Amino acid sequence: MASSSSSGLTFKLHPLVIVNISDHYTRIKSQSLPPSTTPHAPSASNVADAESSSPPQQSPRVFGCVIGVQRGRTVEIFNSFELLFDPLTHSLDRAFLEKKQELYKKVFPNFYILGWYSTGSDAQESDMLIHRALMDINESPVFVLLNPSINPAQKDLPVTIFESELHVIDGIPQLIFVRSGYTIETVEAERISIDHVAHLKPSDGGSAATQLAAHLTGIHSAIKMLNSRIRGLHHYLLAMQKGDVPVENSLLRQVSSLLRRLPAIESEKFQDDFLMEYNDTLLISYLAMFTNCSSTMNELVDKFNTAYDRQSRRGGRSAFI
Amino acid sequence: MNLNMNSVETLVAQIQGLSGSTSDVNHLHTLLKQLEELFKSESSRLAPLLTELDPSIHSLGYLYILEACTSAPISKEQASELVLSVGRFINLCSAEQIRVAPDKFISVCKRFKDQVMLLEDPMRGVAPMLTALQKLQYSSEQLTTLHPDFLLLCLLAKCYKTGLSILEDDIFEVDQPRDFFLYCYYGGMICIGQKKFSKALELLHSVVTAPMSVLNAIAIEAYKKYILVSLIHLGQFSSSFPKYTSSVAQRNLKNFSQPYLELVNSYCTGKISELEAFVQANNEKFESDKNLGLVKQVVSSMYKRNIQRLTQTYLTLSLEDIANTVQLNSAKEAEMHVLQMIQDGEIYATINQKDGMVRFLEDPEQYKTCEMIELIDSSIQRIMMLSRKLTDMDEQLSCDPLYLGKAGRDRQRFDFDDFDTVPSKFTV
Repeated sequence: MASSSSSGLTFKLHPLVIVNISDHYTRIKSQSLPPSTTPHAPSASNVADAESSSPPQQSPRVFGCVIGVQRGRTVEIFNSFELLFDPLTHSLDRAFLEKKQELYKKVFPNFYILGWYSTGSDAQESDMLIHRALMDINESPVFVLLNPSINPAQKDLPVTIFESELHVIDGIPQLIFVRSGYTIETVEAERISIDHVAHLKPSDGGSAATQLAAHLTGIHSAIKMLNSRIRGLHHYLLAMQKGDVPVENSLLRQVSSLLRRLPAIESEKFQDDFLMEYNDTLLISYLAMFTNCSSTMNELVDKFNTAYDRQSRRGGRSAFI
Repeated sequence: MNLNMNSVETLVAQIQGLSGSTSDVNHLHTLLKQLEELFKSESSRLAPLLTELDPSIHSLGYLYILEACTSAPISKEQASELVLSVGRFINLCSAEQIRVAPDKFISVCKRFKDQVMLLEDPMRGVAPMLTALQKLQYSSEQLTTLHPDFLLLCLLAKCYKTGLSILEDDIFEVDQPRDFFLYCYYGGMICIGQKKFSKALELLHSVVTAPMSVLNAIAIEAYKKYILVSLIHLGQFSSSFPKYTSSVAQRNLKNFSQPYLELVNSYCTGKISELEAFVQANNEKFESDKNLGLVKQVVSSMYKRNIQRLTQTYLTLSLEDIANTVQLNSAKEAEMHVLQMIQDGEIYATINQKDGMVRFLEDPEQYKTCEMIELIDSSIQRIMMLSRKLTDMDEQLSCDPLYLGKAGRDRQRFDFDDFDTVPSKFTV
């Protein structure tokens, strides 16, 4: 069903689309769960009951349209909206779609319907029907698929873009889905809002300690990633120097320009101020460690005095037995 | 039981045979322990066996025989030979083997020290004792019984620097409290000798505040020196004890150091003449405690203290005025004092020799340098390690049944805040 596309179109996806799809899916999924989730009691007599009252095992599929701009060979998908799927006719709600399209045209005159989206792990045969239905609006629609199953090992986004191509299979020309690559494109406003969504804090704000911990964890992972990237680059350059890897001048030029950008400010005054601030921070950590240590020591001394010093405790709480 | 030549041969053969791996050595150790009585009775005849054994390989066997040999009373002529042979043994022996029988090793070293003192040549004992100490320790954080003996030899031989090198290590484990008291006391004296007053203060403070159930003489002497060093180094002395001092010390130490506490009082008045008069009056007492040298240093530190007090009032001052305020004899003396203090880093000042004025400055440290960063960083690392150790100790102590018994007993039966199920009477 999926090989790589040969149409030569470059796709650019905005993160807003991804957030929209995921939001739609999450809403539908949480709405479809019954209000009281009864635990499944696996006993032979109750199997039938259990099956009928259990929440839907497979995740619901959500559908919608994606809109954007196509300039030459570049297809940029900006936004998306939701659609209802009619399971009887296996098609999307056409009237609603056209109404929505009119409304969007008023606000964004440049945007066209570029295709549709859905959720699931892979494209299915039935999706081709929907795809064909949209072909009268856009002669080559795209199909954006979001995989809602969370896979912690996976590093990439679970989003795939499919195109349709006419291939000859068993002598019959058929439309099949082929995967295409895409890049993520953002505007500054989008980046800020996505960042905001990504760093949602617990609703009560947490204590200062958890906030600090979350903040520091973020910084730590960022520095770790920077470190690993630099190390990778360093290895590559060493290999190039040794001759294991063919020399690539364009890469070397990029690296050298990066390095030349590095000491952003280099002056005596900056050094002084920087070192003074650095020392201040170190002194504060030192003070914090000191306080921590003194408090532990204090508790230790109290315990020791209670346990071992026979006549030391006068006053305080008397034995109340 | 008579030790005939056959059993001697077998003994030597056994020692030579069983000095290989750790299990062999342990086996040998049990054998030797069984033969202990034998060793005691036949000590005189065992000496020639030493020639057949190699101290570096057969350390354990050599140790036992050596210990038996030295247990007999030794005349002065033999002492010198003995010192040589024991010294040689200490240098050559293998650390793992002697750690199997630490008490024997310690008794050999103690007798070595006695012999060295008998010969009135403590210098000969310093190096071997240092090697012995290092071989006996499991880690540099452990205090062995040999530490105070080593420091005593250093004191008697006046080689303070070697002693200082051992004092640099932090101690976390102590076997015997008496060792600890002696170690800190001698260590304090060595530091005083080297004029490292802050470390001396720290060590003497440890003696005074160490846990003790009965008052001991070491603590009393240490307290006297502690008062004096505190006056020299800090210019003041607070007679209140920190709360981790044992109650025994808190109640009794002051009774034994009356003249010193009065010295503190007259020091605090700030008048040199009074101080000197007081010292003169109590000369014999200080002499008998062998603290007269320290007391003299206290008097000379009075000048320093007064000059330091001047830095807080004046920005510039002439040398004449300094001499007058501090009750020195002449401006020249004042200049010498101020110069010495600048060199020691106790004050920051510049002397203008043309018009005899002294300008007092602020601490020039700006805390901007990379060396300062490294200094702070290493301090942070040290304190993190200390903090970890303290938390471990705290946890251990919380589980101590003695502590739990006392803590449990004192809780009110029903605490209004928490109705938890800790029994009010905790019977172990």
